[in-house]
Amino acid sequence: MNVLIVEDERSLSHEMEIYLSRQNLNCDVAFNGKSASDKIHANSYDFVLLDLGLPDMNGLDLLRESKKAGIESAFIVLTARSEVEDKITGLDLGADDYIAKPFSLAELHSRMQAILRRKHGLKSNVMSIHDFDIDIQNRTVHCKGNSINLTKKEFDLLHYLALHKNRVLTRIQLTEHIWGDVLEDDYESNYIDVHVKNLRKKLSAQSSVDWFETVRGVGYRVNA
Amino acid sequence: MTIQVKFALYNAVSKALIILAFMTLLPILVERIVYEHIDKRLVARSERILLTVKRGSIADIVREQDCSFESYNILKEEFVAIYPITDPLKMNNGTQIRNETWSIEGEKLQHRIISRPFLYDNQMYELNIGEGISTIDELKSIIQRFLLVMMLGVILISLFIDLAFARLLLKPLNSIISTKLLPVPSPAYFNFTPIPSSTAEFNQLDNRINEMMHKLKDTFQIEKEFISNVSHELQTPISIIQNRLENIINEGNLSDELLIKLSDSQRTLNRMSRIIKALLLISKIENDQYLKQDTIGAIELMDEVLEEIEERLTEKNITLHKYFYDDYNIIECNRTLLFTMMTNLINNAIKYNKDGGSIDIYTRVKDGRFQIEIKDSGIGIEKQDINGIFDRFKRLNKNKADGYGLGLPLVKTIAGFHKIEIIVDSTPNEGTEFILILDFRC
Repeated sequence: MNVLIVEDERSLSHEMEIYLSRQNLNCDVAFNGKSASDKIHANSYDFVLLDLGLPDMNGLDLLRESKKAGIESAFIVLTARSEVEDKITGLDLGADDYIAKPFSLAELHSRMQAILRRKHGLKSNVMSIHDFDIDIQNRTVHCKGNSINLTKKEFDLLHYLALHKNRVLTRIQLTEHIWGDVLEDDYESNYIDVHVKNLRKKLSAQSSVDWFETVRGVGYRVNA
Repeated sequence: MTIQVKFALYNAVSKALIILAFMTLLPILVERIVYEHIDKRLVARSERILLTVKRGSIADIVREQDCSFESYNILKEEFVAIYPITDPLKMNNGTQIRNETWSIEGEKLQHRIISRPFLYDNQMYELNIGEGISTIDELKSIIQRFLLVMMLGVILISLFIDLAFARLLLKPLNSIISTKLLPVPSPAYFNFTPIPSSTAEFNQLDNRINEMMHKLKDTFQIEKEFISNVSHELQTPISIIQNRLENIINEGNLSDELLIKLSDSQRTLNRMSRIIKALLLISKIENDQYLKQDTIGAIELMDEVLEEIEERLTEKNITLHKYFYDDYNIIECNRTLLFTMMTNLINNAIKYNKDGGSIDIYTRVKDGRFQIEIKDSGIGIEKQDINGIFDRFKRLNKNKADGYGLGLPLVKTIAGFHKIEIIVDSTPNEGTEFILILDFRC
């Protein structure tokens, strides 16, 4: 899987590169619009992560131009501006998703996977974690043939943890994923813990959940 | 009391005082004028009689009438009398005019009398000519009444003219007050149109107010731009640190202690990021950078918000009561912003609630207006603190790390953007109620 990171802030593109490479993605980097345009046309990327504020051109123009040229890569627009119009224009121009800075790399990765599922229709939309089957398409969880009734938030939480299995997800990462769209005045809340507690209770009624680990003082991890 | 009313009152009182003074002086004046007139007549008459006397006619008069003479007209209002003076000590020196009650045929009447001594045939005589003055009092009261009516008429007319003139004169001032001094939600709504006036002071006032409004608007603009720029510029460094922390946490071979420290740093960074996001959001709303193109039903909105955070209620064993009596279509709104506003309000109701408390949410039409009420059974707010709850970075529970103090300012900004009025009612230890009145009349 090939990814082009178009971002003029080198430290930022470097961190993205490190993270995505660890997910076994091949990363290429462009620091300005010109070199990005060249690379997009010369290579075939699965993803283009496009910053809008490029030094030599507006990222939206690059997006427009690429789509016109029939480039089939999935574009994710990254911007610090987070202006509503940018988002609308970006999506209108054929961007596959939009993510506002500062964003979590885990969040970026999960968005990329969602696009993959949408675009290519993955063979199986069901993720298995031990005895549990998570059906992403229908948003249901089954255990040994029994359906488990989860709330929307509980399902999102389990799905996100499963997606990043074998890695610690901090409370902040989980909070941002679950409630990231709503800006609220509550940063010390332990609502994530409440959700995890409820989720564990529902899952453990069906089978053992030893794999659902609490990393004390940090967050949670799904081991598989 | 308006200036116009004060002007009118002043005019009325001052005119009334002038009239009062005039009415007091009037009788004296009238009397003087009348006396002067009578006196002149009396002197002229006495001259004529004395002339006659000198021609010798007195001999006939005096002889006939036993050395004295008295004559009066039918109504006894005028008389002429001549007496010989027997006692020289009683004699007047020269002409004398006085008021005296004169008895004519037993009838006593008030007269104005002129007395003149004269010598005739070696005998001193006194000439008295009298004119009745009982009619003068009558005259006085007639004139007084006439003047009173006339003056009242004049006052009334001048009062109306004064009022009309004051209104005309003060029109520019009233315009300044109504267009520039009434409260506006933000300097963006200032009205800089000059108010035309031929009065120098009003022009000066208007110009100065315009200058001050311009300054205020500029200051606001600079502040908003500053917040917006700073927030933008801070996003990138925060992104870098955030992503770096994520990568370090994911390396996997860290000690527990380090992992905890890193996750704490991430939390702190997230707090900073949220503060900046909130400030940016507020400044963008204030700069009208959000579209208002959505339509959403009030109940639909509340249900969506509750679905998002309802599970938090269980943590504190809070019971939620929904009294969704009436619905209301919120048109030309920004759905995301309204969602943020409601989430913060309900989250507050949860956060400041007591364990096992309750939250009542009403959607209903009251006094012709649609309103959403969110009532909690929480810790409440002291009366003196209520006004400050919408101020940025103001936290009432200073010992409790319960947020960054931008939740309610955000609520207020979003409400203002949608012209939603917020009323807060709170009793300490009993709870707080937020009432949102939507701009709507049934």
